[in-house]
Amino acid sequence: MAHLRNTKESYGIISQALHWFVAVLVLTQLGLGLYAANLPVSLARLQWLSRHKSLGLTILALMILRLAWRSMNQAPTLPDSMPHWERRAATTTHWLLYVLLILAPFAGWLHASAAGLSANWFGFFQVPDLVSRNPELSDWFKQAHRICVALLALLLAGHIGAALRHAFALRDGVLYRMLPWKPWRTT
Amino acid sequence: MLRVIILLAASAPLVASAEECYSVDSSSGSVSFEVQQAGSPFRGKFRQFGGEVCLSQDRATRIDVWLDPASVQSGTPEIDAALKEKEFFAVDQFPRVAYTSKSVDVRGSTQLVHGTLQVKGKRHDVDVPFEVSRKGGTPIVSGTLKLNRLDYGLGTGEWSNTKWLGGEVSVELKAALSAK
Repeated sequence: MAHLRNTKESYGIISQALHWFVAVLVLTQLGLGLYAANLPVSLARLQWLSRHKSLGLTILALMILRLAWRSMNQAPTLPDSMPHWERRAATTTHWLLYVLLILAPFAGWLHASAAGLSANWFGFFQVPDLVSRNPELSDWFKQAHRICVALLALLLAGHIGAALRHAFALRDGVLYRMLPWKPWRTT
Repeated sequence: MLRVIILLAASAPLVASAEECYSVDSSSGSVSFEVQQAGSPFRGKFRQFGGEVCLSQDRATRIDVWLDPASVQSGTPEIDAALKEKEFFAVDQFPRVAYTSKSVDVRGSTQLVHGTLQVKGKRHDVDVPFEVSRKGGTPIVSGTLKLNRLDYGLGTGEWSNTKWLGGEVSVELKAALSAK
């Protein structure tokens, strides 16, 4: 049965919805950012980077919501079949993902602010700048943004790889905790 | 006695209209601009400019100023480079932006300068509200103007899209004048 809050066995639909929504946005954002960053100065670059900023701010807002919800909910327990180090690795990865999903958009926002290229959220409202214009600081934040994103991509690869291993190799039900339906449980 | 009075009467208007011309120098002023990019203000400045401003009792009588569009500085080198290309200032072909006054209307503390702005080979009449103040005897002039960048071909091709790059550009000038 669907439940709003997390239980010992699985994540509730709020956590699941936030997880999958952020997952889709983050994958879109990675592609968009990589594409736009390699464009020369052009209208297309301006358009795609503007959307990238809006999307990044959306991810940041959703991550803050996720952390707030997470703080009010326990995470489902991992199966006893998992070795101790794997559980430690899973928990550490999850927290690092949370941290980087906050830091990456935050560094991007700082970069845009310092570059004097403020964001306007999908054309709806002007987003305030976090710092005043400073080209040196802007370069620094750009590097920080790139490093966060590179680490994030690495961790995501590990996270997705581990989820698939649990689903198809170990078949221990760990992936089901984040799915609203249980496609393979009966087989 | 009569001759003295006539002489004084004749010279009075001369004294009142004594015009003094000053030079405008990049080191003691600023020319900045603002335009909307993707719905947010984007600011930059021009580092090289100069010219001449003539005042008579702190009223502008003649303004003849220029700026070097290649000295544009926005804080992002790639953007500065793009602004020098043919889609924007085409600095190789048009190395100067110039403004020359034709007449000046005085309205209280503000003076409205009527003049011609020439950018990228295109000339348009532009009115600039202008102010003159003094700081330790040095005249300080300031003015603002709004222009439509498309009137001057600033942003051709894809850049003529004003939804993403605003059409209106506001320019702010301020300079402490130095005696010639």
